[in-house]
Amino acid sequence: MQRFVRPQLMLRGSQQTILPTAGQPCRNSISAVPCVRGRGYSVLPPTNDEEEKAMLHRMMRVDHAGEYGANRIYAGQMAVLGCTQTRPLIQEMWDQEKKHLSKFNEILGDNRVRPTLLLPLWNIAGFALGAGSALLGKEGAMACTVAVEESISEHYNSQIRTLMEKDPEKYTELLQMIKEFRDDEMEHHDTGLEHDAESVPGYQLMKAIIQAGCKAAIYVSQRV
Amino acid sequence: MAALVRGLRAGRVLRGLGSVQGIVSPQCRNVRRGFHRATLLRLADDSKSGTSVPPPSFHEVPTAGESSSSSEPLEDGQPNTSYQDQSGEHGEDYETEEQLQVRILTSALEFVPEHGWTVEAIAAGAETLGLSSASTGMFNNGAGDLVLHFVAQCNAQLAETLAEQHNLVQLGQAESKETAEFLRDAVEMRLRMLIPYIDTWPQAMSILLLPHNIPDSLKHLSTMVDDVWYYAGDRSTDMNWYTRRAALTGIFNTTELVMVQDSSPDFEETWDFLDNRIKDVVNMANTAKQVQATGEALVQGLMGAAITLKNLTGMNQRR
Repeated sequence: MQRFVRPQLMLRGSQQTILPTAGQPCRNSISAVPCVRGRGYSVLPPTNDEEEKAMLHRMMRVDHAGEYGANRIYAGQMAVLGCTQTRPLIQEMWDQEKKHLSKFNEILGDNRVRPTLLLPLWNIAGFALGAGSALLGKEGAMACTVAVEESISEHYNSQIRTLMEKDPEKYTELLQMIKEFRDDEMEHHDTGLEHDAESVPGYQLMKAIIQAGCKAAIYVSQRV
Repeated sequence: MAALVRGLRAGRVLRGLGSVQGIVSPQCRNVRRGFHRATLLRLADDSKSGTSVPPPSFHEVPTAGESSSSSEPLEDGQPNTSYQDQSGEHGEDYETEEQLQVRILTSALEFVPEHGWTVEAIAAGAETLGLSSASTGMFNNGAGDLVLHFVAQCNAQLAETLAEQHNLVQLGQAESKETAEFLRDAVEMRLRMLIPYIDTWPQAMSILLLPHNIPDSLKHLSTMVDDVWYYAGDRSTDMNWYTRRAALTGIFNTTELVMVQDSSPDFEETWDFLDNRIKDVVNMANTAKQVQATGEALVQGLMGAAITLKNLTGMNQRR
């Protein structure tokens, strides 16, 4: 997905100056959060500390990779189960993941965070996982959803813990966002359980394998 | 005091040894570093404490054969004036070692056309600041430090200019440029900063390619390319992030190579070469987009054909 931002085109000599709305004033220097019109707040607090910046960037990178993978999983499930009764259910969960992904795309773009190099890998792996689990029927798709959403929720929880330990006030917006996303993922997890995820044969084995895969993916995406 | 002098002499001897062999052992380096840092801090200390008697070590520096006249300004009977000459030191504030190094390297750049990217240039730079030329011992990497400092300085200048332009556009006081034009202007601006040093730049490039300098030079290069793309408006969060930066790195490096052997007036050939490379990249990007669009259309066509076939053979019907 290509995203290109052209700064506002204005007629030269025009008296109008467009300043950002309430929030951060335009600064001449390069800051962690540059001046963006219409955005009154920044999710990532601006910082000059290199280590903190690296940590925040790492967190955003892996979260972005996670949401991207989740998107592809639902796409795979939809590709197989798109013509069945489960379609609206999968569509609803997929739409929420799309919202999450677009939020992370925004954050990565604003804060100049490098996306993980493994995105093409997550693209293929996610789609394959989604399609593969959906081939086991609706229950298989739900089981996959349960496993993945549980992993993601756990991951968000550990991030929340880290940020709370460091400085809850400084990271208020970020914590709020992560909590909101974590609640959405838990909702998907519960939905999956409601729709007979556990009745798929080999549920425990499948769940264990998928969660191990998710853990490995998170570990690698934090570093590459 | 005498120990300090002996240490200085030892340090100088070791440095001489080092430059002959080309390899300085870590111990020698540490000794040099320790003694020279101590010397310079003493310089700062004494000028501030207002002692009218400069420590004998500075008398003995010239007598030991060092040709520096740098100790002169510090030997006068009114030490209060000496520290006012050095910017960055006033009142109780001490200049950090990094700031001092930056000042020495910046003043050393004047001497690069004469001495090349070498420790001699750093020594000459240190002398203009009123410091002993032995302060080159502070720089473990020698010429590498000088080149990396210059590169960092150029990149910072470029980033500042791009940020200012960006702000002007956002405030509506300037028009935004097309991507290709923006990239071209940014790379040209950055390369023009090399013009005063273009004769000695091949030496600098080879210094940057030394194994122990490669991590730092790559870091500077990647930061610069990231800055240029950011101000060009790139907000991509997929593989485009990587391909765009790789393309610009390639363009920049090849244009730099062309520039060092370009003898045309005002480097016209270099800018033409740059134009062509950027056109190539833009063409490639357009071709890639076309290929992708064609591929998608093809897939849709095939799917349509498959469904038609299924309909014809009756496989689609539920029984």
